[in-house]
Amino acid sequence: MAILSIDNLTKNYKSVKALDKVSFSVPSKTVFGILGPNGSGKTTLLGIVMDVINPSAGTYTWEGSHESAHDRRKKIGTLLETPNFYHYLSAEKNLMIAARIKGRGEADIAKVLKMVNLYERKDSRFNTFSLGMKQRLAIASALLGDPDILVFDEPTNGLDPAGIAEIRELIKELFKSGKTIIMASHILDEVEKVCTHVAIIQKGVLKTVGPVAELMDTPEVDTGGSLLIEISATDNNGLKNALKQLAGVETVTEVENTLQLVCTEKITGEILNRFCFDNGIVLNKLNVKRKSLETRFLEITGKQSDK
Amino acid sequence: MIKLLKIEWLKIKNYTGFILLTSFFAVGVFATNYIAYLFIKNVMNKVEVSKLLLSGSPFDFDSVWKTVSYYSSFLLMLPALLIVILISNEFNYKTHRQNIIDGWSRFEFLKVKLATALIFALGSTLVVIITALIFGLSTGSAFSFNGFENIAYFLLKAVTYNMVGLLIALLTKKSGVAIALFFIYTIFENGVSMLLFFLAVKVKNDSGTDLSNLGNYLPMNASDGLLSSPLDQFSGITKSIIPYNNNMLVLTFALCYLIIFYLWSKRKMIKTDL
Repeated sequence: MAILSIDNLTKNYKSVKALDKVSFSVPSKTVFGILGPNGSGKTTLLGIVMDVINPSAGTYTWEGSHESAHDRRKKIGTLLETPNFYHYLSAEKNLMIAARIKGRGEADIAKVLKMVNLYERKDSRFNTFSLGMKQRLAIASALLGDPDILVFDEPTNGLDPAGIAEIRELIKELFKSGKTIIMASHILDEVEKVCTHVAIIQKGVLKTVGPVAELMDTPEVDTGGSLLIEISATDNNGLKNALKQLAGVETVTEVENTLQLVCTEKITGEILNRFCFDNGIVLNKLNVKRKSLETRFLEITGKQSDK
Repeated sequence: MIKLLKIEWLKIKNYTGFILLTSFFAVGVFATNYIAYLFIKNVMNKVEVSKLLLSGSPFDFDSVWKTVSYYSSFLLMLPALLIVILISNEFNYKTHRQNIIDGWSRFEFLKVKLATALIFALGSTLVVIITALIFGLSTGSAFSFNGFENIAYFLLKAVTYNMVGLLIALLTKKSGVAIALFFIYTIFENGVSMLLFFLAVKVKNDSGTDLSNLGNYLPMNASDGLLSSPLDQFSGITKSIIPYNNNMLVLTFALCYLIIFYLWSKRKMIKTDL
């Protein structure tokens, strides 16, 4: 079942097309990543589905509820773009306002503050917080009322490495507990590590969408192969020559005494190892890699930055 | 609505600007009227003519309602300024977005601001009523509700000022710009009003047509116009130049402006990106 269906969403800012006929749906109980370079339209997209930005064309539907749009939002925990709080109020008072708007009890406040390690600072004013603490408070606010759907826009923004790891763990735990998480990020590694599904957006255009695993396994027409295998032997030149005889090996590139082979799905580590052994070559390294999301991302979006 | 206002109160009650500006207003209303009281008392003691013209102090009932409303109205900038600051704070902190993301509708966000503007106006009016009672009773005059309509005019003016503040804050979204624009606008309106006044005098001299002062029908002046100086009655000059006999017309204009402000702010809040 789809939690959110987006149909032909378009947003124009004067001459700039921030979103161009984007359509996809977010399946229930997934971690759905919206991946794209800076300025690709991720925040605009989330802003539209949260009703703070009006679309120029197209529609969206949050499924599974017959309530009005704003009552539906009360049951979605959202962090959009930046942590937005009253600077002169304490962390706790800020969460009190959010909880009351959501129509939730205030019993949750202490719990969510503990989840993001901010409980000791609950009485400190928001403007005394560091960027990372502000971000964690925003995540705490999204967790109020234990919503089934969470929308995170760049959730690890401004966090230190330990904080990033904590939040990623938290997202994984939320996913395991059966929640749907929609997460925008420009960090490939983050999406690869955390998300089950991904939509790649570039300059407002949806490039591809699907489960992360499937996306990384899809062979690309121009390069052919989808497996990357790294091997080496004492005599790399002899190995290179021998590999010409093996069907399924598309390209061979030597990088720092290691041969990188792009192969079709037919090749496995075992086949390759047996082949070399039969040809009198003993491998001292064999590493079978799937194509990383980064490779796919660059294939899909091109190598140039949008900026 | 009570639920929305309770949330709004959480935002406002701990804000230093709120405590400062409301105290300034309350103290200011009393102080301004006290200064006027001392001044008038002094003048009346010294100038024999005024004694002849005036029967009783402007701080006696019934005049006290009019007098206190008039002098206090100069301080209505303060609650309006507070409205400007409170709304532009939301834009500044982007909490207007967060409130909506968390589950308010855009109209609910506007509705609670409108209600706050109205409550501030009522609160300001209450301060004026109390001040008028203190002065009226302390002069030893007999209590009377005659002239109480001036309190209603004061309320109308307070609502108009707060609505102008609300609209400017919604349109500019930036606190500095909103505050500057609010002051510039009030000065601008007085300027335009002055120009129209000179124009009206010229037209009257040239063709004999009395345009009265068209400036009185501008948004903030329309609500101002209903409150005339308590000293008019014995100066006799102002009144002959600026006829205030069009009270009903001015009132209609003032109410129309309020409706326009409401529709404009609603359109802004619903139609634009936040």
